[in-house]
Amino acid sequence: MRVGSSAEVVELVTTPLGEGFRGRGGMALPTRVSTVFASVGAVAIGVYFMLGFDGKALWYVVIGLGSVGAIFVGARRLERGRTAWYLFGFGLLFSVAADAVSGYYEVFRDREPPVPSSADVLYLTTYPVLIAGIVLLLRELGVHRSRVAVLDSVIVTVAVGIVQWVFFVEPYAHSSLRTVTRIVGISYPTMDLLLLVALSQLLLGVGSRTVAYQLLIVAVVLWVVGDEIFGLSVDNYAAGGWVDMFWLGSYVFWGAAALDSSAAHEAPRDRRAVPRLTIRRLALLAGALLTPPVVLVIEHEWPQHNIHPVSIAIGGVLLALLVVVRFAGLVRAVEGARAAERAANNRLRELDRLKDEFVATISHELRTPLTSISGYVELVRERADAESSGYLDVVERNAARLLVLVNDLLLVARIQSGQLDIDLGGTVEVGSLVSESVASAQPHAAGANVALRLRSGTGPVRVRGDRRRLAQVLDNLISNAIKFSPNGGAVDLSLERHDGTVVLEIADQGIGIADNERGRLFDRFFRASSALDRQIPGTGLGLYISRAIVEAHGGRIEARSVEGEGSVFVVELSIDR
Amino acid sequence: MSDAPLILCADDDPDILALLALRLEGAGFRVVQAVDGEQALALARELRPSIAVLDVMMPRLMGVDVLKALRADPSTRDLRVILVSARAQQSDIESGLAAGADAYLAKPFQASDLIGVVRGFLDS
Repeated sequence: MRVGSSAEVVELVTTPLGEGFRGRGGMALPTRVSTVFASVGAVAIGVYFMLGFDGKALWYVVIGLGSVGAIFVGARRLERGRTAWYLFGFGLLFSVAADAVSGYYEVFRDREPPVPSSADVLYLTTYPVLIAGIVLLLRELGVHRSRVAVLDSVIVTVAVGIVQWVFFVEPYAHSSLRTVTRIVGISYPTMDLLLLVALSQLLLGVGSRTVAYQLLIVAVVLWVVGDEIFGLSVDNYAAGGWVDMFWLGSYVFWGAAALDSSAAHEAPRDRRAVPRLTIRRLALLAGALLTPPVVLVIEHEWPQHNIHPVSIAIGGVLLALLVVVRFAGLVRAVEGARAAERAANNRLRELDRLKDEFVATISHELRTPLTSISGYVELVRERADAESSGYLDVVERNAARLLVLVNDLLLVARIQSGQLDIDLGGTVEVGSLVSESVASAQPHAAGANVALRLRSGTGPVRVRGDRRRLAQVLDNLISNAIKFSPNGGAVDLSLERHDGTVVLEIADQGIGIADNERGRLFDRFFRASSALDRQIPGTGLGLYISRAIVEAHGGRIEARSVEGEGSVFVVELSIDR
Repeated sequence: MSDAPLILCADDDPDILALLALRLEGAGFRVVQAVDGEQALALARELRPSIAVLDVMMPRLMGVDVLKALRADPSTRDLRVILVSARAQQSDIESGLAAGADAYLAKPFQASDLIGVVRGFLDS
């Protein structure tokens, strides 16, 4: 099942990338080859358990050779990182040779090979070669070399070391066997320890996201599990027993990994300087920290080994210290980041202050020439004929427009830095304020052939606030409504009192605002696409400023609209009691 | 003409200074011009004008500092001072009035506004 499902993923990923696994000699591997190989392998393992004793010994070697062959075939087509896979091939070849030696003893001598034998030499050669292959692969994948990554590896090594020591090494170390036998016996769990550490790196790295490496991880896990079960029950082991399933499975997965097309792809490299504290990494560290107590409990419940509490205690203390160092580093990194953030904030505040100063200066520098322009235009106008006077109107209008823009920009800068100067001490009668604004906008409305109508049903209503600023909001909303109205349209203002608040609505029959733009209508420099399409002039500052002023008064401003039918702007202010 | 009120105008922008002079002379006043704060202070002490129109942002001595110096000196304490500035924020206006200015005009201003303020001071 496992292989089948991953192969489907592979097909999805690799079909458009046929180039990626085309061999050097033009040899192309079909996408499903690794699935086929794994299926055949599974059947072969099934057959193994049905064979007689002699057949098993032979078949074991056949399966092993098949995997070695698959690895070499798979490695040949790789563009890069081939050495690692060749090392796997040679490593497993040593193992298969050792299997053959064991088989020879079992079939022809009718006994297990002695310890040590040439089989042990071959088996023990397998491990360093496989580990070297994994290390090479990790380098290819861009393994982390930071202090933190090394620390994590050391923590995992210590934890696995405790397990290996208590369950596998210690019994040998203190047994009465011959020294050579003891050394060989200790060598296997030690090699497994190294293999497990290499495996943990593979698991944590980005390689675990690629199908080929996932298969490889399964192969290594099966290998180590087989070793560990064998190590725990070495006296009960008989060739052809169920434990063989793990090693045979490891062979098959290793071959399938090499054949999988994803091995040929550039694995996603992790370019972070320090690895992220992922859930997986955290789980591994937590598991490592819990190793000593778990080992103690297991030995307490099922006492089999002559454990040494001191050695577990030493391991536990070492682990605890390492984890403390690891997390102290993390905490210090976070603190460092906070300090950097504070410094950055201070720098930003300073920049903000400089910006305000800059805006104030620029505004001053712009107003000074505008003063000259409008002053001298005014002077010339007194002596100008009708035609020149018309031209001077244009100059004056544009100077006025420029002045409005300068004022608006200055206001925006002040709003941004929270320095909008609003005098909330005054009392403003809204009815008269609105009538004044309507009256002063009448010429503009008449010029645009737009009817400007006010309906007030409130009588005098007072609010606390800045009359000049509130008038600015009204002027802005009314001039917008006129600007967006069609020729012959109407702008209707209504003033109403709702409990505790006074609500002003300004409705036009203009082009309206699209639904998806209404949320950004009050943003700085935002202009509705309907306005841009029709080339209606504007800076996108008016509504932003209006909202800031209304909100500074504790009020609310919003827009309702049906595109193409018009918009309604609503301003709501609290009545002063 | 010689008995017309004397008005001191100070601005570091020559165009605006000329405009102020043109407008005030056109309205029938005598005008003396200063291009910076120090000169304005010296002329105010020497000529005892009726009114001083001072730009706020000037080199060497800012308008507000000239104003403070005038207010500190008994001989010029009662001189009417109109501050003129392109710094037109509420806070600028308030600080100008707090320093003792009799009026604060934001640039750009209309000539009629300036003349109106000057006449108002002379009448009172």
